Amino acid sequence: MSFKDVLIPFKAWGNFFKEPVTLKNPMREAAPRYRGFHKNNVNECIGCGTCESICENEAIVMIPVDSVETKNGDSGLRPMVDYGRCCWCGLCVDVCTTNSLSLSNEYTWVAEDPEEMKYIPGVDKKPWDENEKGWKKPEGNFSYYPLERPHMQELHPEDRDHSFIEIVKGYSDEEALLEADRCVECGICTATCPAHMGIPEYIKAIRNKDVEEGLRIMYETNPLPEICGRICTHKCETVCSLGHRGEPISIRWLKRYIADQVPTSKYAEVLRQDSVEQNGKKVAIVGAGPAGLSAAYYLRQLGYSVTIFEKLIAAGGMMRYGIPEYRLPYDQIDKDVDYILAQGVDIKYNTEIGKDIAFEKLEQDFNAVYVATGLHSGRSTRVPGSDHAMVFQAIDLLRKITLGEPIEVAEKVVVIGGGNVAMDITRSMARLQKIKYGKVNVIATALESEDKMPADREEIVEAREENAVINPGWGPREIVVENNTVKGLKVVRCLSVFDETGRFNPSFDEADTNFFEADMVVESIGQGADLGFIPASYMEKLEKDPRGRIKVDPHTYQSSLEWLFMGGDIIEGPDVIHGVANGHKAAKGIDLLLNK
Amino acid sequence: MNTLIDRLAKLFSISDVVHQRPNLAFVTTPMENTIHLITHLRDRESFSLFVMLSCVDWIEDNQFQLTYVLNNPTEKIDVGIRCFINRDSATMESAHYLWKQVATYQRELKEMYGIDFPGSPRVDESFILEGWDNIPPMRRDFDTKKYSEETFFPRERPQSNDPAQYMKSKLYPDE
Repeated sequence: MSFKDVLIPFKAWGNFFKEPVTLKNPMREAAPRYRGFHKNNVNECIGCGTCESICENEAIVMIPVDSVETKNGDSGLRPMVDYGRCCWCGLCVDVCTTNSLSLSNEYTWVAEDPEEMKYIPGVDKKPWDENEKGWKKPEGNFSYYPLERPHMQELHPEDRDHSFIEIVKGYSDEEALLEADRCVECGICTATCPAHMGIPEYIKAIRNKDVEEGLRIMYETNPLPEICGRICTHKCETVCSLGHRGEPISIRWLKRYIADQVPTSKYAEVLRQDSVEQNGKKVAIVGAGPAGLSAAYYLRQLGYSVTIFEKLIAAGGMMRYGIPEYRLPYDQIDKDVDYILAQGVDIKYNTEIGKDIAFEKLEQDFNAVYVATGLHSGRSTRVPGSDHAMVFQAIDLLRKITLGEPIEVAEKVVVIGGGNVAMDITRSMARLQKIKYGKVNVIATALESEDKMPADREEIVEAREENAVINPGWGPREIVVENNTVKGLKVVRCLSVFDETGRFNPSFDEADTNFFEADMVVESIGQGADLGFIPASYMEKLEKDPRGRIKVDPHTYQSSLEWLFMGGDIIEGPDVIHGVANGHKAAKGIDLLLNK
Repeated sequence: MNTLIDRLAKLFSISDVVHQRPNLAFVTTPMENTIHLITHLRDRESFSLFVMLSCVDWIEDNQFQLTYVLNNPTEKIDVGIRCFINRDSATMESAHYLWKQVATYQRELKEMYGIDFPGSPRVDESFILEGWDNIPPMRRDFDTKKYSEETFFPRERPQSNDPAQYMKSKLYPDE
């Protein structure tokens, strides 16, 4: 040891007289993009939990928040960040589906108890809540997942406007994988699906290239995947977390992709349904639409003997007799229906209850009856001229087209209605006109303005591609008839459809009129149920709601007659997926009744 | 930068040229050529500064990717030279004699990824992980979570909620 080594420790004492080099509080401000404590816009956040999923340190947990309601599209949960685990990597911000999460550039926080150092950003108020600096997701299209879905291949308008060939071609393997890969598996969609299908799970099966597992998952809640994969109203997509910044996942097309990949011949092997022990009880189902078929499938799984009574020559209900073949080919309906029937469901076609078999007989011969006859009676506008022979109901024409029966196809047609059925008949008439006359002259008009038309947006776009004219925002006043010939439809401008209380109460500007020339008018303003097959003696015993509709238990679909269950479009919807859901619930309700 | 890449392409086997910025490009070269290329860049192309050496574990391909970043202070440009080495026999020719500080990077890579650089000074000495008794921690098959759970005092994580299950409990509990 040298003399210098001895002196060195004493040199440190000299620092006593120097200015301290430590920083005083408040510390200097961090760089503008510094990654500090979290902020969250709780109104934009939907509680999808993607931030939690990506956090490698498990620093984020999803917590219920009193001030946020759980509803469709919002879990009601919000992320809580634990700064004992957070490493400020910012992945949670970068992956956030709504852009609600960000980091301030604040980095100092002193607490006595380290357990205090966790909070729910945006809910637990912090000094840095208004701090505009820090880390945000980069502007523009920066994203960990593509914001756009793969383009769906469709028949070109010129190739489809003269035929009923299916328009949508479906995803290829590559496209389906790309689309499935965009899903963040948050599961926000599941609650909105009326059948609560395992959507993230079957999309994951696609990612794992296991479509058979995907099919098994779908059949747990929906025995009509080919059908729903084509024409489901896909409300699930309206709440998809990815839809906040880009296009929502194509849930419907992915469902179709799975069902398309598995041939009918493999269904039994894939779904591995062991023979169910029969319980000896019998259930009658009236109507082979989505609700009836769904109930039949799940009742068979529970061991019931099931007989469906169908008025027409084939099963499917509105799916077959209401939806045109270019949207839903009949062979795809058959694929789903045949598998249900193969489970041992007995179906009596051409059998009308109340005519071929008395309703009372069902009560006598079966332990329970499920009525799901749908909405097949078109409603009339009842404007002057609506009783003319060249004025038709859309639903009647669509049924005849399916049955192959001849229908009137005039050179100039006006359709009244703005829903999907109206678009279906508009596009069907356009095709038939193209075939018959080589040109299209069909106008669809609706009370609602275009942005409020109930029809799916794609239906309106595709109708226009097929040269149909959509002219919304008009109320029908009169179907003008001269010399017993329809000349057209007189309309007035519709200002609003619903009043302040939300009731249907349209208001018009009588001074703003228009006239649509036509040789034929088709009304498509809604359908009603025809329950005339239920004798008055039963109807009297059935409890009704204040609006005169038959009351059923919302969970079991059981009516006030213990053995009688009712569902499908006559109770809720109208759409296929509601039918599937309430058919499934009715099956459970019937099981609850007969097994108690 | 383009002319530099053209000159290099005439002398060396290079591929996957990435022009990251006007003053930064990456090239990939076989591991046998890598040190030759780096030496050439230093001695003939004025890349006199060694910036860093880093590694990526492409476990799916059973490869490590080494990236040497060099700087030309005159031209104010950077070039990154990438090469891939087999993950099972992770050994790379040492470049410590080109720049003294390379030895430190190589020592770090030995510790963090288990890549050997024979002849590199002190390459077998601990870098920061004194007493490490596991596989190199930056290898992707090292289970960080398991290691920390086994090694450190556990800290309980609050109960989280799955959004789909929570929504079911709130919106349709009986279905």
